[in-house]
Amino acid sequence: MNERDAALWWARIRSGGPQQVSAGGPTPAGLLRLVEADARAVWLIPNLPDSAGPAVLIEYGVPGSSMMDSKGTLRVLAATLRCCWPDPATDPWPGLPASTGHVGQVLQRLVPGRNKVSRQQLLSAGLRRLSVSGWVLLEGADTVRIGPRIASFGSLELSTLRELWRLIPDTAEDGPEGS
Amino acid sequence: MNRPNSIFEEVLGTLPDRQRELVEAAYALLEHSSGPVHRQFLPALSDATSRERLEELLRRTGRTLVTVDQLHFTSGFDDAVRTELTETGWQPLSLADRAVLVLVLVYSVAIPRSVEQIAADSWESPHPTTLQDVTRDSKVPVGEVRAALGRMTACGLLRTVRGGDHDSGYVPGPQLSRLTPAAREQLQDQLILAAAPDHPLAAAIRERRHNRVGGQR
Repeated sequence: MNERDAALWWARIRSGGPQQVSAGGPTPAGLLRLVEADARAVWLIPNLPDSAGPAVLIEYGVPGSSMMDSKGTLRVLAATLRCCWPDPATDPWPGLPASTGHVGQVLQRLVPGRNKVSRQQLLSAGLRRLSVSGWVLLEGADTVRIGPRIASFGSLELSTLRELWRLIPDTAEDGPEGS
Repeated sequence: MNRPNSIFEEVLGTLPDRQRELVEAAYALLEHSSGPVHRQFLPALSDATSRERLEELLRRTGRTLVTVDQLHFTSGFDDAVRTELTETGWQPLSLADRAVLVLVLVYSVAIPRSVEQIAADSWESPHPTTLQDVTRDSKVPVGEVRAALGRMTACGLLRTVRGGDHDSGYVPGPQLSRLTPAAREQLQDQLILAAAPDHPLAAAIRERRHNRVGGQR
């Protein structure tokens, strides 16, 4: 693959998010291959060094394009991570599939005071928003997985994520659900 | 998860550590900041070698350096890459998103520009487009309009303006400053073709494009 083709792949990912390709193809320069659990497909994401990643912005005090949690979307991401990443000592990708019911139960602890209907709306709207940009993958109506964008976190961000993981209370999947 | 990136190694491998660090930081700031970056944060631009490597790094990743004004810089899609991707039908935005974006550009930029309230090459606008403006004559259902406005605000193509009943709404967002001069010119032409297809300006654009295509043959 030549420089021009690699640049085109970088631009596709920049504009359209992580790209899924068949497992047999070549890897464009500077990109990372994330192999799916069944090894039939791979996701391509940029392989940026920490020193050229978004973390640099904090060092320089320059604002980045971070997502606001005004609608609770980040809590939905946190609940998904808690369910789909059972062992934080490992890399989050590819993680394990989780039912949206399980994610909803963890979310319940993160958004106390919401009733069942409003929490369900938050969960489905949040998962939809997160899946558009590749932070989570929706499989069918009620299964969710970690999205390929999570694998772009650098080592610094991952250690923060691990600390946050410990703060999120887990619930047994089949536990009783209140409202 | 951190493996060496072959592009970064090839382009920056021969630089001393400190110089490499500044080029990588400039790349990060240009690529990930929400808006244009002041050159005081980009010392790599003042050194000829560093600047040349930075531009090479951007080019290899499908990007290019965009000068916003003498003091502010950002990065945008390389013109050749943009042209090739769009010619092969690459389009990450949905039809509804594009329709709503065009309506905001018409109300916030094209109309004020036609009465000279906005400079010819600027995509920043103090004139918000209200939700009613977008839904009034639009074929996109209201629910989809709302969802499209939310998505495009989240990705920086639009920005919300809060104010009273008549001056709150949406204006073009910070991502528009990433357009290269060629992309800005093309967008301006497209906007004229969309908003005033019968205007003499639109005829001139069609003729210019026809000649350009003819000249390439």
